[in-house]
Amino acid sequence: MALRGHRLQLDNITQRFNDYVAVSDINLDVAGGEMVALLGPSGCGKSTLLRIVSGFIRQTEGSVLFDGQPVDHLSPSQRGVGIVFQNYALFPHMTVADNVAYGLQAHKWPAEKIKPRVAEMLALVHMTEFAERKPRQLSGGQQQRIALARCLAIDPKVLLLDEPFGALDKNLRLDMQIEVKRLVREAGVTTILVTHDQEEALSMADRIAVMSRGRIEQVSPPTEIYDKPQTLFVNQFVGTTNAIPGEYFCVGNKAKVTFAGGSSLDVPKTPGYIDSSKVVVSIRPEQLHVVPSAGLVGTVKAVMPLGSHVVYDIEVPAGVSLKVSEPREGRVAMRRTGETVHVAPTSPDACHVFPAS
Amino acid sequence: MPAPKANLDWEALSLRLTFGILTIVAMIFLVAPTIVVLITSLTSSESLRFPPPGLSLRWYFALIDADQMQRAAWNSLVIAFWTTLISVALGTAASLALARSRSKWVRAADLLFMSPLLLPALAFGFAALVYINKLGFSPSVPFLVAGHVIVCVPFVLRTTVAALSQLDPSLLDASISLGGTPWMTFRRVILPLIAPGLASGAFLCFMASFDNVPVSLFLADERTEVLPIHLWQQIDTNLDVRTAAASGLIVIFTLILMLITERVAGLTQQMR
Ligand SMILES: Nc1ncnc2c1ncn2[C@@H]1O[C@H](COP(=O)(O)OP(=O)(O)O)[C@@H](O)[C@H]1O
Ligand SMILES: [Mg+2]
Repeated sequence: MALRGHRLQLDNITQRFNDYVAVSDINLDVAGGEMVALLGPSGCGKSTLLRIVSGFIRQTEGSVLFDGQPVDHLSPSQRGVGIVFQNYALFPHMTVADNVAYGLQAHKWPAEKIKPRVAEMLALVHMTEFAERKPRQLSGGQQQRIALARCLAIDPKVLLLDEPFGALDKNLRLDMQIEVKRLVREAGVTTILVTHDQEEALSMADRIAVMSRGRIEQVSPPTEIYDKPQTLFVNQFVGTTNAIPGEYFCVGNKAKVTFAGGSSLDVPKTPGYIDSSKVVVSIRPEQLHVVPSAGLVGTVKAVMPLGSHVVYDIEVPAGVSLKVSEPREGRVAMRRTGETVHVAPTSPDACHVFPAS
Repeated sequence: MPAPKANLDWEALSLRLTFGILTIVAMIFLVAPTIVVLITSLTSSESLRFPPPGLSLRWYFALIDADQMQRAAWNSLVIAFWTTLISVALGTAASLALARSRSKWVRAADLLFMSPLLLPALAFGFAALVYINKLGFSPSVPFLVAGHVIVCVPFVLRTTVAALSQLDPSLLDASISLGGTPWMTFRRVILPLIAPGLASGAFLCFMASFDNVPVSLFLADERTEVLPIHLWQQIDTNLDVRTAAASGLIVIFTLILMLITERVAGLTQQMR
């Protein structure tokens, strides 16, 4: 897969709509054939960024480069960017085959080469027998395959997927995610996947760029995004977490955070804080445990048995309620509502310290 | 909550009442006269009378020799044809801009193009005559067609703008990102998808031109008499029964055109 596909660089991209900054100082380097997910809540600027890459918006500042060459002067029809739209945007009055042939005709392919190419693309997405159907005669998943085949037919330099699975129901979504990942891998095309669904980003992308309010907060491989979030936003947006406000103190070569009510937890020593710095400690529910003693003392407010795990909602004097997720083993009796328990992280490394906002 | 329910019933009732009254009015003033004309045109007698004493097609056969009326009908068809052709071309081009842009100049242009629907056509016809006389021209077919275009273009404009606003903008983005030029996008994506709207606009435009009196009254020259004016003069001077036969033909011709439009528009609707 290496050396296939085209490198895509976003260099200091800023987009303003009048006074509103929709996208701010974005830098992103996507290797040839890599799939990067843009993950963020709606309104954070993902679609705007896609429209800049595809050339439909000319960015206020910065530059888009393919293979190191700026493409800012190229119109969307000249850029060679394939887009799969959320609603697929298949031409409703054309057959499936005509839809796939459209880009080839636009690129002035000779007619005798178009036919075999269309057949090849339809075979690739397992849709050969649907060539003469109209889009409305296809299911959502089938329409998506055709939309993808239509893009890949013209061998795009960069493939953009804008919330491509949003219109599919949950079971089909997973199938199509696997299918699309396979197709994109085989084609070796550099891909940007836009989504607000963290599971989709985690399962599909080589790297995830988490966006918030027009900025990229972190770009990392999926496991790193989950295990080593660099900001509280990333920590909270990807997976669930407990955020507890407190004060940071250095104790020799260790560190701790004390909370309202006097309790405290050991945390990894984190540079950039002095004693009494206001911080937020973030611990994921599965990295908290109910323990016999020590840790934080709290009261069980709710017990939610969720299949293989049980989730407790525990109120601690620090003024917050913590979610604690524990494996549900037959021998250990579940805690009861109202019970007083001790809660502690599995290790100090499970605690992430972020500046209080 | 009984009050809102009673309210709703009143709304439903008033809707039904309005609907009913409108239907009755349409029957009395639109359908009934049409039927009366059709029956009268089938009279076997020498005079316009209803009900006719006997039925025959003699007045329809008499139309074969009505040279002057035929010439007027031909003039009207030619003028309606050119009016429709020009209106569709201009109306489509204008609606592409109107449907996309939010700028206040485009809004103002929209209002300007639509204003012939509101302005009395009689005043427009008169003003146009005075105007072209001032410029040193006299009424002629090109001026007549131009005048018709101005009063007929709103029909094309409205239906086309409506069709365009139904068009999913991501289809246009898809075409362009696949390498399509604006012309290819228009010809292969936009045009086929707005064709039903365009067809019904063209039909309305053709009919509006075909039976336009106020503009033709002022802008037609001596030699190009149009059908509606000719028919009116015939009635006015000698109560010619052939006018009824001509009216009958126009009604039938309109119905056929309407069915064709419905078919074409309906068919394209199915292709979506
Ligand atoms: N053409 C535009 N004019 C003004 N504001 C816009 C325009 N397009 C997007 N925005 C604003 O930019 C922000 C980011 O939008 P978008 O990129 O669509 O977000 P996302 O795709 O992440 O949901 C939104 O607040 C939106 O209102
Ligand atoms: Mg979006």
